[in-house]
Amino acid sequence: MKVRRTILKNRLNKTVAALATGALLLVAVPVAGFASAGAATKPVYVIGYEGPLTGPANQYGLNEVYGLQLAVNQWNANNLPFTLEVKQFDDQGSGTLSPAQAAAAVAVPNLVAVVGPAFSGATHAAQPTYEAAKMPIVTPSATAVGLATTGANNFFRMVYGDDVQGTADANFLLNVKKAKSITVIDDATFYGAGIAKVVADVAKKAKAKVVTTTLPQSTSCSAQASVAQFAAAATKIKNAKPDAVFYGGYACDYANLLPALSKAGYKGIVMSADGSYDAALMTQVNPVSAAKGAWLSAANCGSTGNLTGATAAAYEALSGIAPESALYDAQAYDAGNIIVAALKSIGVTALGTNTITQTRSAISAYLHANKFDGVTGKIAFQANGNLVGTGKGNIAIYQITGKDLPTKKTCY
Amino acid sequence: MSGFFHYFSSHFESFRGEFWALFFGGIGSGIIYAMVAIGYTMVYGVLRLINFAHSEIFMIGGFSGFFVLKYGIGSSTPSGLSSVFFVILGILAGGIAGSLSAVVLERVAYRPLRKRGAPKIAYLISAIGASYFLINIAAKEFGRIGQSMVQPYTDHAVFTIFGAPIQMYTIIILIVSVLMFLALDRIVSATKLGRGIRAVAQDSETASLMGVNIDKTIAVTFLLGGFLGGVAGFLYAMNFGVLYSMGFTPALKAFTAAVLGGIGNLRGAVLGGLILGIVESLSVSFVNPAYIDVVAFAILILVLMFRPTGILGERLGRDA
Repeated sequence: MKVRRTILKNRLNKTVAALATGALLLVAVPVAGFASAGAATKPVYVIGYEGPLTGPANQYGLNEVYGLQLAVNQWNANNLPFTLEVKQFDDQGSGTLSPAQAAAAVAVPNLVAVVGPAFSGATHAAQPTYEAAKMPIVTPSATAVGLATTGANNFFRMVYGDDVQGTADANFLLNVKKAKSITVIDDATFYGAGIAKVVADVAKKAKAKVVTTTLPQSTSCSAQASVAQFAAAATKIKNAKPDAVFYGGYACDYANLLPALSKAGYKGIVMSADGSYDAALMTQVNPVSAAKGAWLSAANCGSTGNLTGATAAAYEALSGIAPESALYDAQAYDAGNIIVAALKSIGVTALGTNTITQTRSAISAYLHANKFDGVTGKIAFQANGNLVGTGKGNIAIYQITGKDLPTKKTCY
Repeated sequence: MSGFFHYFSSHFESFRGEFWALFFGGIGSGIIYAMVAIGYTMVYGVLRLINFAHSEIFMIGGFSGFFVLKYGIGSSTPSGLSSVFFVILGILAGGIAGSLSAVVLERVAYRPLRKRGAPKIAYLISAIGASYFLINIAAKEFGRIGQSMVQPYTDHAVFTIFGAPIQMYTIIILIVSVLMFLALDRIVSATKLGRGIRAVAQDSETASLMGVNIDKTIAVTFLLGGFLGGVAGFLYAMNFGVLYSMGFTPALKAFTAAVLGGIGNLRGAVLGGLILGIVESLSVSFVNPAYIDVVAFAILILVLMFRPTGILGERLGRDA
């Protein structure tokens, strides 16, 4: 009896092993991007891009997706053991639309990582979906402080956050422009409220007189509030006469605030951050002269600048967008490159046998463990996904002088 | 308690300082509301229908003026007489496009229902459907990004009243609106056409027995309301630029203004628009500007609680 039981047990073990192997093969083959198809066809891996490709802020998305596409095109011409593809997920920059786009991205069986989402609110809303799927998300532009405080290990960003940018903006107003009183306005979005709070906090700490107010996103930004609020707020600001006004929000409404302030007769300093650094600002502001003298900032200075040289020329040829005003093009390009570096290091054999979740996790682990040399400089991530370093010297400040978005920057 | 008084006295101080600027700003937006409200109120008068697609008549007026000025002015900077010419051109473009689209809207979205004796709810669905249709066509054709209007003149403060700067823009919309309100008032109260409109509003069946052409009268009503709505769209766009969804909030406010003044009542629509514009603007002294829409709709609710027929009351079919 004992012998028979042992034989049965052995048989059972073999059956389980066979079933398990079969199941593994079933899972592994499709997700690994048809790795077993042999030398004739290379496996295909997809890098997703999530950002606004349509809608009022689509310039950011276009700047970035072409940066990623350029990196992928260059690698594909470089005889890799696999083929890369870019798949676009258009969230229109909206936190309402982004979870569905994230769900679509994680459902693609050979999609290994996402460059994006571009916007902070969209990232915040999509992150639970990405985190559950262990999807590495490398954002070229989502700067909200709160994105890096969730404890997730799949989040990376290629720019310094709003703690760095907001501090630089506040210091610029306080120290360079000698502002003693600042009205800080936010647009009630995850991004706008975040950066406005940083500016207000820094200014309060420096003993400046700070008044904060909220003007929620208007119909110009495809939201509900009426544009009449800007004229009324501007009259109030004119009367209160602060030395400076800081606006945390996007170009679609900064374009309403600037003429309102100018018509009300406000003569102080007006500043906004990277959410407003958008060519659409200059087509929407009415009249253009109302924007003259206003300030903008972005996290694209020093080691996190724009594309230059031959890469910039290739970018312009691919996208038709002038690289010097294509904010966060270089960050998206580098994001693509470091994901490819991770794939290469994992190696085609391991990629072929990994489950997709293992591959995605391996990419995150690789990004955490390594340092990279990108066109934007040295790239290394903290455990929370923020760039290593204080970010000093990485914030660009621009002043609007003509009809186009300014490209001449000073770094702080 | 002293904190409370301090709050009020400090707010009152700032209120005194900015009162006139906010007041004239409020008149500016109030006029736009009034012009759009007239379209709602006239259509309601003859059809007992809230034409929810009126917001898109406003948007079409804005875009028409935008395109005419874009190609008419190009990159030049008009001044003097040419400024006057371009403003009039824009007003006509907005008005004509507004009236044409309103008439087409009536023919396509409402008349077939009327001929079949459809229930009121069908009109409402048709109106909302037409509105979404037009918004999405505009978004597709003109893009989803706002564009600023080529300026027919250089806006500047012309003079000040009690320290409040009065912009050229405010003067223009004031002149245009007063002329249009007077003309409309004359048309409705003193012409045969106006008598027809009032007769249909009062009792359309009897009016038709008396020889009033109902179809024509309704079409004329849409035409007049559409003209004002289109002009308002152009005037609004001169300040805020054009966008496919630009009609939504102003039209909702205008609808509020129409109800506030007494729906069906032309003078009520003007009064309602002005009150709404001024009160919401002045409220900024006491509450965060973000509450401007809350104030507007709170006024509506309050007025309706105490005076359900609006300030001047419904006056369907009687002298304007």
